[in-house]
Amino acid sequence: MILNTRRNFFKQTFLGGAVLLFYNSSLYGAAEPLKTLTLVQEDLFPKAKELDVDTASYMLLILDHSRITASHKEFLRNGVQWLHEESLKLHGKLYYNLSTQKREEVLQEISEYGWGESWIEALLTYSMEALRSDAVYGVNKKDAAQKWLGFNAGLPHPKRAYL
Amino acid sequence: MMYDVCIIGSGAGGSPVAYELSRAGFSVVVLEKGKEYKEEDFNKDELAVSRRELFTPDLKDEQHVIYELDERKERRRYLGSEHQWSFWNGSMVGGSSNLMSGYFHRMKPNDFKLLSTFGEIEGANVADWPLSYEELEPYYEKVERIVGVSGEVATHSFLEPRSTSRFPYVKLEENGVTKWFDSACKSLNLESIPTPRAIIPHAALKRNGCSYSNFCGSYGCATGAKGSARAALLQKCDASVITEAFVYKLESDATKVTKAHYYDSDMKTHEVSAKIFVLAAQAIESSRLLLNSKNSFFPYGLANNNHQVGKNLIFSGGGAGEGRFRFETLTHEQQKELMEVGLFFNRSLQRWYEYKKSGKKIKGGTIDFLFEHQNLVPRIKRAFYDKGGKILWGKALEQKIHKELTTSRVLNFEVFNDWLPTDECFVGIEEGVRDKYGIPVGAINLYSHPRDREVGNDLAKKAVQVLEKMGASEISYSISSAPPPNLVAGGCRFGENPQTSVLDKNCKAHALENLYVTDASFMPTGGSVPYTWTIYANAFRVADIIRKRLEP
Repeated sequence: MILNTRRNFFKQTFLGGAVLLFYNSSLYGAAEPLKTLTLVQEDLFPKAKELDVDTASYMLLILDHSRITASHKEFLRNGVQWLHEESLKLHGKLYYNLSTQKREEVLQEISEYGWGESWIEALLTYSMEALRSDAVYGVNKKDAAQKWLGFNAGLPHPKRAYL
Repeated sequence: MMYDVCIIGSGAGGSPVAYELSRAGFSVVVLEKGKEYKEEDFNKDELAVSRRELFTPDLKDEQHVIYELDERKERRRYLGSEHQWSFWNGSMVGGSSNLMSGYFHRMKPNDFKLLSTFGEIEGANVADWPLSYEELEPYYEKVERIVGVSGEVATHSFLEPRSTSRFPYVKLEENGVTKWFDSACKSLNLESIPTPRAIIPHAALKRNGCSYSNFCGSYGCATGAKGSARAALLQKCDASVITEAFVYKLESDATKVTKAHYYDSDMKTHEVSAKIFVLAAQAIESSRLLLNSKNSFFPYGLANNNHQVGKNLIFSGGGAGEGRFRFETLTHEQQKELMEVGLFFNRSLQRWYEYKKSGKKIKGGTIDFLFEHQNLVPRIKRAFYDKGGKILWGKALEQKIHKELTTSRVLNFEVFNDWLPTDECFVGIEEGVRDKYGIPVGAINLYSHPRDREVGNDLAKKAVQVLEKMGASEISYSISSAPPPNLVAGGCRFGENPQTSVLDKNCKAHALENLYVTDASFMPTGGSVPYTWTIYANAFRVADIIRKRLEP
């Protein structure tokens, strides 16, 4: 229920709206931020999917939190634009229209920039938070991540969502 | 209603007063800015508690302005909300004592007379306390019994005199790696000290014993074993606690505080009258409240006609370090010991609490050793970069995370030494920045005396020797002038001279007949240990003084 409500909210907010892209100094088109972030997170840490951790839903949940600053959200959104523009520059296509191999090349390229490294670090951090999340948040229902790491501390678990 | 006592703040400074005076039959009201959480509300939700800081105010609503003075004497301004620089600890009933790790050390006798023992230090306002260790000792002992301190008294060079031979609660169960530490210390001719903890190992004091969840620091205790001011004191007395009550002004005439004015959560104003007022809102906020309580009798702020309120703010000096133990260098048995979760690594060194350097006696400090916090996200994040500093992802990251977390473990150390009081480290008011209540926020002026870092570095090097002897790898440390927000004191120092102190020996304001300050504000110097035990002990002492005053 929490996730559905927030998903609807987000469709109308900063991840819902398209990001305009420029290529060779002119408007190229637009990209979908949420679709982009979801795919980048899968590329950065595919183990999460294997562990049945829903990092995309976690992003919807956490980016609506009052402690996530507006400037940070703006940075994430700008990163989507810059990623696609880098992708256009390298391969002439949007990031999510590239093969796995070429997406990896784009990630390698942006990681050489300060913004790119910070953007990857931020997305990885949210993936790891999703891995750590307790069952009440609905994105890590099987605790598979904790089992994968042999993590058996952290009791008691929350009975309700505090986020 | 006229209360006997009105206490502002329900943490370690306020709760002993509430506990003692309400149990003695006096009417006591406690005004607490935060909400009330009980054992059943606490859990180990890392995302809410640690990642999103559930228990501290949002900096958009309440913040500080920080002015940092560097060694070139240039002061840089930081708006807390812009730089995400928070000095909040725990805004809740019981205050930050709910979230403490509970490493409990007493101050040493010489800590009470730093000036007369070690002499003046250029650029620092070192002062003797108007109180001796011997006078405070019965209250340290009282905290052991009433709040609950567990441990084992180990003889060592700087063991403080004790009126009892042992702690009332046996030490918590320990991880097998403590044996490696003890052995390393023995071979280095050092005295390994089991660190006393404000955590009871078994059910007692109408509280449950420790569940060994391994999530003490930053988290509320779900069993009540941790000796928070709420669990140990407030829940055991009938003091009236008003939550979500932000006190923005103390009203006074020329000699007495008459009312405390506060906002509730709906921003409605209220006032409380009492015979005696006790301020314990945490060092920075107590000074802020006094400075914001100007009136015609005290035009510079309450109790501030000598311009001493907010001055000589101190933190704990020092820093932290670590070493990693990897399976590759360990026997199978040692690997098992290393990965035991839940059991404590409670060890300290105080061999260099005082030491000689270039023929001169120097005040040193304490080194606590502890396992890296169990918080999973920061431990995973440490694996994000390779040795060359390049960010990892994909299979390489997955493998590194798994290896680091399942076949190695980090042992930390923390250095506690004096943060010398100076003219440059103080609390003021930032008139142009207001909080959500419309009240000017505190301005924290930071400066760390070079001696603080010199001593910190001396101690850290000693800790490194122990880690090396234990066989740790990847050893590193950082001693800096960064102030730990959870270890703050001073601002209303006590002393005999009203020209150089705010409070008298009884922690009563020199200038007012009925205002006491019982959080860490009173401390002219901080000792080289975490403050909480001393705050508790002093608050019990002041409670006795107020009780005698109120008794017919």
